[in-house]
Amino acid sequence: MEFGPIWRAMMRNKTGAILIALQMAVTLAIMVNAITIIQERAQAMSRPSGVDEPNIFYILSIGFSENFNERLAIEEDLAALRAMPGVANAIQTNSMPLSGGGWSMSLQTEPGAGIEGTGTALYFIDEHGLDTYKLNLVAGENFSASDIEWREPADSGWPQKTIITQALAETLFPDDWRSALGSTVYINDDQPMTVTGIVERIQAAWNGWSGVERTMLVPQHTLFGSTNYVIRAEPGMRDQLMPQVEELLASNNKDRIVRRMRTMDETRERSYRDDAAMIKMLTFTVILLLLITSLGIVGLASFSVSRRTKQIGTRRALGASRSAIARYFLVENFLISAAGVVLGAGLAVGLNMLLVEAFDVDPGSLITLVPLAMLALIVIGQMAVLGPARRASNVAPAVATRTI
Amino acid sequence: MLRFENISMVYRTDSVETHALREFSLDVEEGEFVAVTGPSGSGKTTFLNIAGLLERFTAGRYLLDGKDVSALSDAETSRVRNEKIGFIFQGFNLIPDLNIYDNVDVPLRYRGFNAAERKRRIESTLETVGLSSRMKHLPSQLSGGQQQRVAIARALAGNPRFLLADEPTGNLDTQMARNIMELIQSINMSGTTIIMVTHDDALAGMAKRNVHIRDGRVSDDGSSVQLANVATA
Ligand SMILES: Nc1ncnc2c1ncn2[C@@H]1O[C@H](COP(=O)(O)OP(=O)(O)O)[C@@H](O)[C@H]1O
Ligand SMILES: [Mg+2]
Repeated sequence: MEFGPIWRAMMRNKTGAILIALQMAVTLAIMVNAITIIQERAQAMSRPSGVDEPNIFYILSIGFSENFNERLAIEEDLAALRAMPGVANAIQTNSMPLSGGGWSMSLQTEPGAGIEGTGTALYFIDEHGLDTYKLNLVAGENFSASDIEWREPADSGWPQKTIITQALAETLFPDDWRSALGSTVYINDDQPMTVTGIVERIQAAWNGWSGVERTMLVPQHTLFGSTNYVIRAEPGMRDQLMPQVEELLASNNKDRIVRRMRTMDETRERSYRDDAAMIKMLTFTVILLLLITSLGIVGLASFSVSRRTKQIGTRRALGASRSAIARYFLVENFLISAAGVVLGAGLAVGLNMLLVEAFDVDPGSLITLVPLAMLALIVIGQMAVLGPARRASNVAPAVATRTI
Repeated sequence: MLRFENISMVYRTDSVETHALREFSLDVEEGEFVAVTGPSGSGKTTFLNIAGLLERFTAGRYLLDGKDVSALSDAETSRVRNEKIGFIFQGFNLIPDLNIYDNVDVPLRYRGFNAAERKRRIESTLETVGLSSRMKHLPSQLSGGQQQRVAIARALAGNPRFLLADEPTGNLDTQMARNIMELIQSINMSGTTIIMVTHDDALAGMAKRNVHIRDGRVSDDGSSVQLANVATA
């Protein structure tokens, strides 16, 4: 193909070509990094919380009166909830996965101050916890009713047993996570707890935390004045059960109020609302940029075709077929695109390094993304230029003699 | 080698019908040098465009080298133009963004010659028209006469069987025009059939045969020798 003369002719009118190439370069750089961020967010959003999200909801109970007996209230509430038709199981706990607020502690495998521990999210549950959340116990055993203690706000001690997530086990025992089972871990520098079970997964309350999968379950009821009841409904029963539960708890005990009943689905949606908005915004930006770039290409090529009408007629007279004329403009666009995407690849990597440095975003897999984006832009460029190229190929050969 | 049999050409625009050629018949033999004259609007360019396969006609038959060309596809007519026909235009029609070398190269690339063959042909035709030293120049850096010589080199580079020229000297002063005419004559002398449209009778006199068109028909088809005799008498 006639790359040489096409390139040389283009260099005589390079302003438009350079602008389009730059536009493509910037588009590519932004597109690649936007996709990197989109992928990162989408990946985070797709992580399971580990609990039976579609069937779980929870409600906050806050005691307010002088004679509110919290321990009694919890025992009665749980008994009533578990007896409700449509309820699969229920527990009392301090916080929910992805809810944004919760407890964390530091765990270590050796006792002593000054040892850097592992940040761990913590949920207080009873022996119904695993079933209520429908957690997958991969090693060890569940708590038994006799393991469950009552915790006052001032308590600083810890029970003997704990169940931890596999991710936490892997962090604490990098050589063999299974060896966590039966091992002693230390909380508050030197208070021993024995790992009696390992669950596959239950996420922490904070979706943006790098340790979101590191969670420990503590066999205690809390007497903190306010508490969450977590209810797992039988499949399909959740929505009809929610008002009933609210009604039951409200009427059961007049010394507290119930508030903020929420499904896990809603919790997930709220938790990732900003990420979802970011994904939408970036997707829109990328589409808009691609559209503007395509329009730019169409504009430049159309201008180039009408500027060269006479020349096209002359080329036809000299033996160019329709397809040879169309090919000219496709090749011209390819040369512009190629220059643009090569420059854009550099820009994309540069911008990525900047973003990684400034905002601590995941560097992403540029090695596959950049070439794919380059290819995509070249294809888009060729498609954008098809119309003008077809118009060029329809220029009548007689134009060579009919216009001066 | 070129035979027009009752060719008609009607341009239809909205409501107007223009009969550019009316049952136009003409035979041109191999090696001839035909000058086509006629008043403005008489159909000279239309004739040349049809002869050069730049336009399709409305009725009649056109045989090129004994072959009916009316049914050829776009790719085929393009190839015939590329291989058999050289064009010279009144406005030179050089490609302004390409230098002289690349301009002459245009039809050779469509021909599919390899780089060495193209180089050989470009250099030798530019030599023929006396512009070897200007290969790297842009058309805008040359005079009108030089530009037309480049266009002639471009028309000749593919060794066409015949050359079609529409007012090739129309944009040139008298001296330049004469130079170009001499060049065209020498091309004819070396065997290329030439059909040239002109409104200048003196230049037409340099051709071997003069065809006069009026109102889309051949009104007079004589040899220039007779005309030349009339002119000197
Ligand atoms: N594309 C066209 N559409 C309509 N009429 C045309 C077109 N081309 C030429 N004509 C008309 O055809 C007639 C012959 O034109 P042309 O062959 O260019 O004459 P000449 O070259 O002898 O001046 C003129 O009346 C001209 O206006
Ligand atoms: Mg004319």
